[in-house]
Amino acid sequence: MSDPTAVTGTARAPKYKRKMSNYLLDKKLQLRYVLVVTILSAIIAGTLGFMIYDQRRLASESIESDLAALTQSDANNQSFQENVASDLESEDKALVYKMIGAGLGLIVILSLYLIIMTHKVAGPLFKVSIYFERMAEGRLGNVTPLRRGDMLVDFFDNFKTMHEAVRAREIADVATMEKVAAGLRGGDNRSLTEALDELEKHVDKRKKQIA
Amino acid sequence: MSDRSYKRSWKNLLINKSYQLRFTLFMVILSAVLILVLGIWVMRVANETTEVSKTSVRGTPCKKIPALVEEKDEAEAAPTPPPMKLPEEGAKPADAPVAANTGSDDVYEEGKPRRRAVVTIEQSTMEMAPEPKKQPAAVPADWGTSVVQHYACEINLQNKIAHLESNRLRILFVLIATGLLLVFGLGAYGIKMTHRVAGPLFKVGLYLAKMREGRLDKVYNLRKGDQLLEFYEHFKHAHAGVVKMEKEDIERIKVVIAAAEAAGKGKDPLVEELRGALARKEKSLE
Repeated sequence: MSDPTAVTGTARAPKYKRKMSNYLLDKKLQLRYVLVVTILSAIIAGTLGFMIYDQRRLASESIESDLAALTQSDANNQSFQENVASDLESEDKALVYKMIGAGLGLIVILSLYLIIMTHKVAGPLFKVSIYFERMAEGRLGNVTPLRRGDMLVDFFDNFKTMHEAVRAREIADVATMEKVAAGLRGGDNRSLTEALDELEKHVDKRKKQIA
Repeated sequence: MSDRSYKRSWKNLLINKSYQLRFTLFMVILSAVLILVLGIWVMRVANETTEVSKTSVRGTPCKKIPALVEEKDEAEAAPTPPPMKLPEEGAKPADAPVAANTGSDDVYEEGKPRRRAVVTIEQSTMEMAPEPKKQPAAVPADWGTSVVQHYACEINLQNKIAHLESNRLRILFVLIATGLLLVFGLGAYGIKMTHRVAGPLFKVGLYLAKMREGRLDKVYNLRKGDQLLEFYEHFKHAHAGVVKMEKEDIERIKVVIAAAEAAGKGKDPLVEELRGALARKEKSLE
């Protein structure tokens, strides 16, 4: 999976594109929605399908019985009646297939829509999670904007502002510590020199982290 | 990191309106459009099927009620001319004018319609016989049963038609009900589920605002049933990382201040500045 926080080239705008393989970023969150909607759609399509099939079957049976009554005295019409009954049965089956198709279509469309919509939520969360893990390691690099169409823009802006504030404070603190480390040197106090050496190392580490 | 029991409230259900409503409305509109399209197709099939069934039922013959008629021969049953009796030959009075005609029969003049002979009877010896009294019809033994069977059959057909119509209406009502269920169900479900996402985001948002202001308070756990538990763990790691950085800075600054004071540089403005940074950092962890 490509890094959504990556900055390419000299430009700050991310080159990260949506990929089919990345659509299920947060499987647990996304599939929960999809599962519920799939079950709901399946129940609705199933109920409607059963009712319509029942009505259709009733009509076919009625026609078949009428036809049987009309042709019972004539043996020549027996094959005609069988043909009509066979046609009606195949039409009933076709209706069942159509209903199954419509039900599957409903499920597929709603599920795809939900995967896309939840991806637009899971995407920003995934990106922020990566930044959070970097912050956990003390790394406070730049934050790149979200992709077009992503949701949770307000939340991301809130995060970005916080990140920039923490980074700015850390940059100011590093500058202060660097100034102190340089300014307090000059004496022959060994413990102070050692403390300033350690402070310089600390400042170097921080500088790398906020780069 | 301890737990603090926040309760869910209906007032807070739309905690992040733009995200929740956008997500839910799209879902509801899409499902409404799908169910509408599906519904139109289903009702077309239902109407067509019901009509076929009704036509079939209407065409089912019911045994007719036998007519109550007098038992007669076929010849007698045939319509008879009005009863008239002509006088016998020779009884005709000689003075009786039989016919009077002022013009000739079938006179045809060119350009005019054909004229027809007209016979006027002024007096006749023909007698009008009285109409014979109808004999009471014989009622067949199973006539009552036939009537009952006929009307039972008619009622049965009407019931079948009514049943078909009620089935059609049932499909319509179920369609409307499922459509409403889908729309409102998905709406309610969407708001509830997005609330479970928006709740943790709201909470994280509050912590982010505090961190922005330099306050690194305790981070409490999420409520039971909330989603984004993994995401929240990432946030807690980040928060702990920043706290750790501040603690490392504090530790390092304290060592430098102590060494500077020991070296007699405690009043140096740089050390004062360092003290200011230390105080701010310590306050952020309170």
